[in-house]
Amino acid sequence: MSLFRNTLRVTGWLCTTFTQPIRIVPSFVLDVGTAADRTSRRPCSASFLPRLGDAFQQQPLQSFLSRLEEAGPRLGGGGGSRLRLHELLLLVQRMRAREREVRELDGLMQTGESLEVDDESEDLRKLAEDEKVSCQEEIIKLKEQILSLLIPPNEADDSDLILELTAGVGGQEAMLFTAEMFTMYEQYAAYRNWNFEILEYFPSELGGLRRAAASIGGCEAYKNLKYEGGVHRVQRVPKTEKQGRIHTSTMTVAILPQPSEINLIINPKDLRIETKRASGAGGQHVNTTDSAVRITHIPTGVVSECQQERSQLRNREKALQILRAKMYSIKLEEETSRRENTRKIQIGSKGRSEKIRTYNFPQDRITDHRIGRSLHGIDLFMYGEELLHEMIQCLKECADYESLIESLSENAD
Amino acid sequence: MRSLLVSFSRILFSFLNPHGSLKLSPASKVHQLTLVKQRSSSTELPMPTDLVNYWQGVFEAQGVPEARASSEYIVSYVLEAKTFQSLRADHLSKPVTVQQLFRVQELSAQRLNRMPIQYIIGEWDFLDLTLMMRPPVFIPRPETELLVALVIEEFQRKMKPRGAEHRDLAAAEASQYPMILEVGCGSGAISLSLLKKFPKSHIVAVDKEEAAVSLTRDNAIRLRLQDRITILQHDILANHSFLLHHNPVDIIVSNPPYIFKDDIASLAPEILSYEDPTALDGGEDGMQIITGILSNTPHFLKLYGDVFLEVDPRHPEMVAEWLRIHPDLHLCVIATHKDFCGKPRFLHLQKG
Repeated sequence: MSLFRNTLRVTGWLCTTFTQPIRIVPSFVLDVGTAADRTSRRPCSASFLPRLGDAFQQQPLQSFLSRLEEAGPRLGGGGGSRLRLHELLLLVQRMRAREREVRELDGLMQTGESLEVDDESEDLRKLAEDEKVSCQEEIIKLKEQILSLLIPPNEADDSDLILELTAGVGGQEAMLFTAEMFTMYEQYAAYRNWNFEILEYFPSELGGLRRAAASIGGCEAYKNLKYEGGVHRVQRVPKTEKQGRIHTSTMTVAILPQPSEINLIINPKDLRIETKRASGAGGQHVNTTDSAVRITHIPTGVVSECQQERSQLRNREKALQILRAKMYSIKLEEETSRRENTRKIQIGSKGRSEKIRTYNFPQDRITDHRIGRSLHGIDLFMYGEELLHEMIQCLKECADYESLIESLSENAD
Repeated sequence: MRSLLVSFSRILFSFLNPHGSLKLSPASKVHQLTLVKQRSSSTELPMPTDLVNYWQGVFEAQGVPEARASSEYIVSYVLEAKTFQSLRADHLSKPVTVQQLFRVQELSAQRLNRMPIQYIIGEWDFLDLTLMMRPPVFIPRPETELLVALVIEEFQRKMKPRGAEHRDLAAAEASQYPMILEVGCGSGAISLSLLKKFPKSHIVAVDKEEAAVSLTRDNAIRLRLQDRITILQHDILANHSFLLHHNPVDIIVSNPPYIFKDDIASLAPEILSYEDPTALDGGEDGMQIITGILSNTPHFLKLYGDVFLEVDPRHPEMVAEWLRIHPDLHLCVIATHKDFCGKPRFLHLQKG
């Protein structure tokens, strides 16, 4: 039994280092372990919000599922239901069947232990063990499927995204922190094998970063990074500080999903493209080297610029990418229903002005305020690998849990 | 470190007496002194941003256009980046080295002589390519990137299978397709971009000037595209018999010299003093080479083949008129496309 648990634990980490995108095994596989196991090994336990893994042992999911099972044969056409209740019921029934099997096998193995051990019973025990393991694996898969049916998918989840970092309060120190955060996300993208392309980069004189934007693409990029949006706060003694006082500075992260061609259609006639070649005859008559491009969407007034490249057409493409992401973000916000305002984990512009995380260097601690979660090891965290990944997975599960609760309360009949 | 500072000021002051006939206005002298003064309290060499600001001031004082952009490109190039924007924050917080300082000064002196940036740094980007640039070969303009985009778009549209009418497409696909002729290849920007985009295409690129042929060849080799391009020194207005050795092509593309003769004198010094005038001068009405290309389509272009041209905004009407009096060519204008400034800049013609 313990071997099985260990394998799952290892699998969780292995997923992150494969070169192919492998779906990260959700942490609720740890249901299999004891409570003591859970707290000792997994440092990421939220104190304000329960984890997705606990959902099956708790309300409201428990009562929802039992009501579903009771309703069973009486379930109506289900055509109008968003939750595909029939499908759900089948999964739940299958899960219950497997759970029963596991209990039976447990019972068998216990009886076997009390008898004399000989070759035959040893073989039977092994068989029972294997049977139990495959049942448990199936239970996990079924739980995943049930959850994916219950948690409504987000339209933008499969998109690529634009990451925007802006230095906030704190002058040079804020800009230095922004530069460090940029590097952190760049390294995280490499860690997850995502594409990372810089669209904008405005450094300050002393090695800081005023503002930057990057296009990130890859498997579930937006789905993972969407909870990074908000105000990040740093508390430390700045490099420029002569008296050793601790300062608090901020920077803002914005995550904008990038729409596909279909998700957002822009009429080219609505765009005003400005370049430095506007005056005069243009063409062979002029040799300008300033290839900056600014695009304005006339009806809405949304503007984007790019001067990252020497090729004007490339700058235009990047500026268009930024513009589309901005407009898509606005469109999604309009479509988001009012209920999401009550959530702890906000995405989009509602979340943008919230202080979501504090990086306290003297105490070597990173705290996410939405889930009340703290991690230690800032240097390692800002390396943009496992620690950041853990924090992100934690946020994802908490957000999924909130989504689940909302979804269940909507369908409480 | 102190000696470095002394060398730095020596560099700046030596600049006040260059071997050229350059005169520095009092304004720039003030600029130089300010920079030295700033640095005299410390023993550091300047930061990249200070260096950019300094030379921007010098260029502005001398009336050099695009002072900021010029300064940024030179400093970035010496710091081994393409643009100042792409210099990472940690590089910006380190002072430049003495060698870098010297190099920036060398290059900036050339800019003060109004040499185009692309010649100074010896390279420039065109779409996804980085090409070598050498005077006096014509420097690609941003508009021409759109010309290439048009060719690509049109060709991709054509390639979408549409049934029986593209029977020969299937046959052609097996071999070299499309076959393209570029007239006036210059640095090779158009040809090499198309070659990269269409892996099965073959291009014959011609230019009147040996320097252009040589530069296109060097760029082709550098980009490892030399196997699919044939570069010939040839004047399209002269005898074309040896071009007949090649089969007719699917596409003719060109950014031919299209400036009206009378407009040449008013061009900026960057262009007049450094770029080959024959790459710009299109004759009395700027149409000389355009009509030369179109006149040759019976020999070079397949039936239903396309011609893509970049022209002066006044030309679309003139070309339409010219075609009316040359019906024997069986050419018609399919579309006129605008550039980013809304000017009619690109002609798409077809033979049929």
